[in-house]
Parts: sequence; structure tokens; C-alpha cells
Amino acid sequence: MGIVVENPGILTTVQDEGRFGYQQFGVSPAGPMDTQSFYLANILVGNKRSEGVLEMTFQGPTLRFEKDIIVAITGGDLKATLNGEPAPMYQAFLVHAGDVLSFGMISGNGRIGYLAFAGGLDIPLVMGSKSTLMRNNLGGVHGRKLEKGDVIGFANPKTELPNMELRKLEPEVFPKNEITLRVVTGPQDSEFTEKELKRFFWYGAEITNEFDRMGCRLKREEPVQHKGDGNIISDGIAFGSIQVPSNGQPIIMLADRQSTGGYTKIGTVIAVDLPKLAQSVPGYKVRFIRVGIELAQNLYIRRLQQFKSLEKQLGQR
Amino acid sequence: MEAKFLLVGESAVSIQMGDVISLEVNQKVRGLMQSLLDDPVDGIKEMVPTYASLMVHYRPEVIRYEELKKEIKKRMENAGQAKEQSSIVKEIPICYEGELAPDLEDCARFEDISIQEFIRMHSEHEYYTYMLGFAPGHAYKARFEEPFHFKRRESPRVKIPGRTIVAQTNQSNLIPFPQPCGWNIVGTTPCEVCDYSKEDPFLVHAGDWVKYMPVTRSEYDAIRRDVEKGTYRVNTYTRKGNEKAVK
Repeated sequence: MGIVVENPGILTTVQDEGRFGYQQFGVSPAGPMDTQSFYLANILVGNKRSEGVLEMTFQGPTLRFEKDIIVAITGGDLKATLNGEPAPMYQAFLVHAGDVLSFGMISGNGRIGYLAFAGGLDIPLVMGSKSTLMRNNLGGVHGRKLEKGDVIGFANPKTELPNMELRKLEPEVFPKNEITLRVVTGPQDSEFTEKELKRFFWYGAEITNEFDRMGCRLKREEPVQHKGDGNIISDGIAFGSIQVPSNGQPIIMLADRQSTGGYTKIGTVIAVDLPKLAQSVPGYKVRFIRVGIELAQNLYIRRLQQFKSLEKQLGQR
Repeated sequence: MEAKFLLVGESAVSIQMGDVISLEVNQKVRGLMQSLLDDPVDGIKEMVPTYASLMVHYRPEVIRYEELKKEIKKRMENAGQAKEQSSIVKEIPICYEGELAPDLEDCARFEDISIQEFIRMHSEHEYYTYMLGFAPGHAYKARFEEPFHFKRRESPRVKIPGRTIVAQTNQSNLIPFPQPCGWNIVGTTPCEVCDYSKEDPFLVHAGDWVKYMPVTRSEYDAIRRDVEKGTYRVNTYTRKGNEKAVK
């Protein structure tokens, strides 16, 4: 007993924190595109931060509930309604058996929504994770996006949580038209001249239509010039790695990235800025700012501390 | 070449052990990974060995970059090269016939040798698995004797079938699932290259030696039936003369 998918939306998948430990075998970690919204959704419903949720892109699903459960919606605004009335975002609320939670199209504030269920979804673990990797038919619901008629059970559904009145956050307002992403240079920054590196940070780029869970292709008026041909001996790739193939048009590697690759990587977008990119749409301008490893790690740790203090406030752990 | 620590954002570092594709460099990568498995550093989340680098994904909330680098360097002193290479060779059956080997004739013609000679060159030697990447179980392998001269096809195929074996120069990769590919297909194995239902889903691991064992179409079909029943086991043997491994 759980939810019945009456309409799957355009791209709705189950994602937990990701499938780790298998990149050495060529398995992409998958996981959420917007980690910030993902973690907050789980925290609001009292879950472990890493628990599996529904990630909904562009247009959300219509779901009929067969059982009472507390849920929370975060991320991009997909115009959620509960039985036809506007449903709250960034707030835990109880849904009853028979209720219909329905999402619409993106509305100008972000493009990816998250729906977390108190107690989690009953999804079998594949290599330790519930995350869907569509490219390899792995994890989630039969390794694919949701389809009409799918039924997903609840793992340990909760209808009561401590401090319900506190389980409410200010909804996120995502930047529009132009985003700024902070970047730690490397691992192959030495494949570019210092002048070309400066130009990379000086000139912006534009998000193209080739933007999916695997990566985001950018378009620059003047391609980035390599010292060599742009190819390297294949090495590891991280979430946020900025590949510059020989055509000089950068690709930012995202949740479904390959674990390894043979293009030069000029830098890596820092983890706390990736949600902004995930919530952007083609046509947005991207600017890059160079930061050091110290600052990047401080920002990462500060975000973690914010999650922990929120959990403490809500009486979790 | 001295190891280089290359930053990959706030949660990963790539340790480059060399700047060529060679057994020697790859053994250094494997040696470092092994010493980090034997004497783990708190905060390391996962490691990804590639041809010449070891990618270390870590948790900055547990260990900061400078501290991690110090700990890795300590272990590097003890590591050097992988103390012992694996001497187990996995025998992977391969059928070089008909639609299972669509590019075999082209390849033999390019090399100006007979198909029999091509199959001999391809299957007589042992291959070393440098790394897995690109797709689950996708193995990058190379032999150290009698390289071919041909490279990739002029135009890549949009999709080649899974379980195919592709080749160029001294390399010959195992393809797990359908994928786009610009390499020539010289054969197909009846074994699953990646099977999620198994406890160990991957036919070969990085660092494994592999020998291709030619089988006829009817042997291929028979093995395929056993694979589907779950009763097929890959043969292994102990590698002779590790010392002959070329740099």
C-alpha cells in the first residue's frame, strides 16, 4: 500500500543520495540533481537525509494515496495541488488515503521538484541504493522513470512526527536568467594557458538544450582553447566536473555522469552551487568565479552544519 | 614521474601516478589503492582506479584536503608498485563467426592477413584489464604482443549490441550493454559482462588478466543456454611467467 501513479509527469524517478562504491566498476552514482532541495525534503519529514524520494522534472506526476502518510515538497515550483487545492511547499503535511496529490508544469521558479515521504519508499536496494539510473536500467522502479499505473509502497509510513508546527521553511527562490557558479580549478587546469583560464572566468556561457541528468552542455561565443587537443588519458569524474572537449564547449557533469572520461577538465563546480544549475533552464547565462579549496570546503561543511542544526531544532538526532 | 595531486572540487582528488598508459604505471595506481584499502584513511568515501590515476572521493567534513594529502603520501611511501599482480587469468569464450563478428573480415583485410591468423593474434595472448569505466562492467583491456594496425571505424555506430568484443591496435574492450561505439566488433561472448542479479555483477575487475577462448557458434549457443540457466562458470588458470609482462 502506498501511491498509485495516475499520471507519471515528464520525468519522475526515485532518487536517494546515490549509489556509492561502484564507480570503480563503471557504475554512475546517480542521485539527486539538486542536493539542497533533496536533503531539505527528507529533513522536513524526519527521514535520514539520504532516504529515497521522488525527483520530478519539468512536469510532475499525479499520485493517488492508498494510505495516510506525512509528505513534504521542495525544490522547483511545479504547482502542486492536493485534491484540487494548492498544496504547501517546504512544509510537512499529512495526506490521507484516497487523496490525490497532483503536480503541474514548471512555473518560472526552478524546474526540479522533490517529494519526500515520512518513513521512506519501499524500493529494493540495488548495489546499496534506491537511485534510478535510467541509462543502465538500474535501481528505482524497474530501472526507469515512473509510468502510469506504477504502484510504489511505503517503507515505514509515519502519520505523526514531533514538532509538526516547526516543519516549515521559507520556500527557495531560484535565480533567473543568470546564475553564478563557483569553481575550483583542476584537475587539468594546466592544459590551458593562464590567459585562457582568465578568459574562462571572464566570459560567461549559455545553457543549451542539451541538458539532462547526465550533464549540461554550455555554449560560449568563443570556444575555450586548449594547449593540446583536449584529450587526456581517461581519469575520474566528479559531480560538477567541467569537461572541455576538443570543440572547446564546456560540459558540466551532473548526477548521472560517467565515472571516468577522457576529456580535459578545467575545473569543478562546488557542491553548494550545483543546485542553482540543476534548477536552471536552457537559455540562462552562466558565470564562473574561481575559488580556492579552503573556501569550497568551508562552504560545504557550513551547509552540512545548517542541515544538522535544522534536524536538531526538529528533534531529530 | 612523481605523483601529482590534482584537485577535483571540494570532495575529490585525482592522484596521477604517471603520464603514459603502461602496466607499470597502472600497477602503481593499483598499489596505492591497495595500501589505502589495507590501511584506510577515515573520510575516504570511494576510490576509482583508472589507467594512470587514482580518484579518491572523500568527505571534507571528516578530513580536510591538506590532511588527506598527508595521509595518502604516508601510504604512498609504503606502496610503490602493487606487490603482486594477480596471476589468475579468466578465460572468456568468444565467438568469431557470422553476425557475432560483423567487422572481422574488414579487420583481417586491413591487416592483410587471413581470418584464421587474425583470430590467432587476437585470442592467443593474455589481456590486462586496466580499468572499468564508461558503463557498468565496461572493461578497458590491452595485450602486450602483436598489436594490430587498424584503429577506429570511419564513422561510429549509433548502437552496438551488448556482450560484444571490440578491438583496435593492442586494445580489446568488453562491451556490457548496447552503446554507441566507433570501434570494430571482432566477436561476441555468450557471458554476461554485467549481471545485476549476481552478487558480483561484473565479469572482470580492474587488474584482472583475461584470455579470449575461441568457440564455435554451436558452442556459443550451448554456453549461452548455461549462462541463462545460471550454471556457467568461467574457467580460470594461473598465469605463467608474470615477468614477461611488458612495460
